[in-house]
Amino acid sequence: MADTPLTELERDVANMIIEALELEDITADDIEPEAPLFGEGLGLDSIDALELGLALQKRYGIRLDSDAEENREHFASLRQLSALVAERRSD
Amino acid sequence: MDCLPHADTALPTLYLNRWRAWLPERAGEDVPACVITDEKPPAPSVPALLRRRLTPLGRAVCTLLGEMSAHERTTMPILHASRHGDGHRPLDMLDTLFEGEPLSPARFGLSVHNAVLGVYSIAFDNHASMAALAAAGEEFEALLSEARGYLAEGCDSVMLILTDSPVPERYRIQTQAPQHPSAILMELSLSPAPDAVCLQARAADTTDEPAQTITPPLLTDWLMGGSDLIARTPVLRWQAFEVMDTTPAG
Repeated sequence: MADTPLTELERDVANMIIEALELEDITADDIEPEAPLFGEGLGLDSIDALELGLALQKRYGIRLDSDAEENREHFASLRQLSALVAERRSD
Repeated sequence: MDCLPHADTALPTLYLNRWRAWLPERAGEDVPACVITDEKPPAPSVPALLRRRLTPLGRAVCTLLGEMSAHERTTMPILHASRHGDGHRPLDMLDTLFEGEPLSPARFGLSVHNAVLGVYSIAFDNHASMAALAAAGEEFEALLSEARGYLAEGCDSVMLILTDSPVPERYRIQTQAPQHPSAILMELSLSPAPDAVCLQARAADTTDEPAQTITPPLLTDWLMGGSDLIARTPVLRWQAFEVMDTTPAG
């Protein structure tokens, strides 16, 4: 269980992650909002990063430059990713 | 009946040390312990983050390779043959392209013919030689040729994996494909392990029935004591029988 409750947007983004990455046996509440999504924490890999980029585009109309240095920040945690969605969504 | 060594290499004798199969279409039927029928095999040794990318067929192959401890035999090559690959994925991607939609990177990465062995190799940290084959319906014959090559070069044993899977409905008029996915794993060698089954080829004659596509269910029936297996290329009649006594005579 997460230490802090998820906001509505964070829950929405968490469900997008679970659905897009076909995470087995994981619910939105299992994703700690401040924990790293990649490597440690949730343990996602580089293919997941590409898959998430596609999901962001489909769900929220956000296009990320695949080489951009700030992607690392955007993908750091569920909270960071949700902040990106809040700022740039065009759906 | 004893297995007789044959001087003619065109009529090979091989030994089947162990085998396992996945036949979900036979769920609820009386099957031997080496056959599993789970619709979605557990693949318990594959980390969840890798396992989520496997289809039931991929999970079955990893489950059975794990049960057979293939990863403890670091010099045993693993050969996987399948006619249509791992389910609908590659063909579904063509539809996605046709619709002008972007492809899923994860599905794209797993649509290659050697994807299942790749995931297995990562999950079990097994760096043995592995190859994926397709042979237009003669996959088992191709596996035997490849395996005999490795054995002739001195490998003690080779793991053969034959899998088969349905194709989407719209392709069925163009190709023969089964209704259900299936897999069989066979560990072959040139000399018998205890309880090995002898696989002996004989020249097929003109009275032999027409050769049929060799599938995992057909191989299972053959190994369970069914009628001889007729291979197409080369045309051979394969018999399988228990090795009663492996002690060299007198």
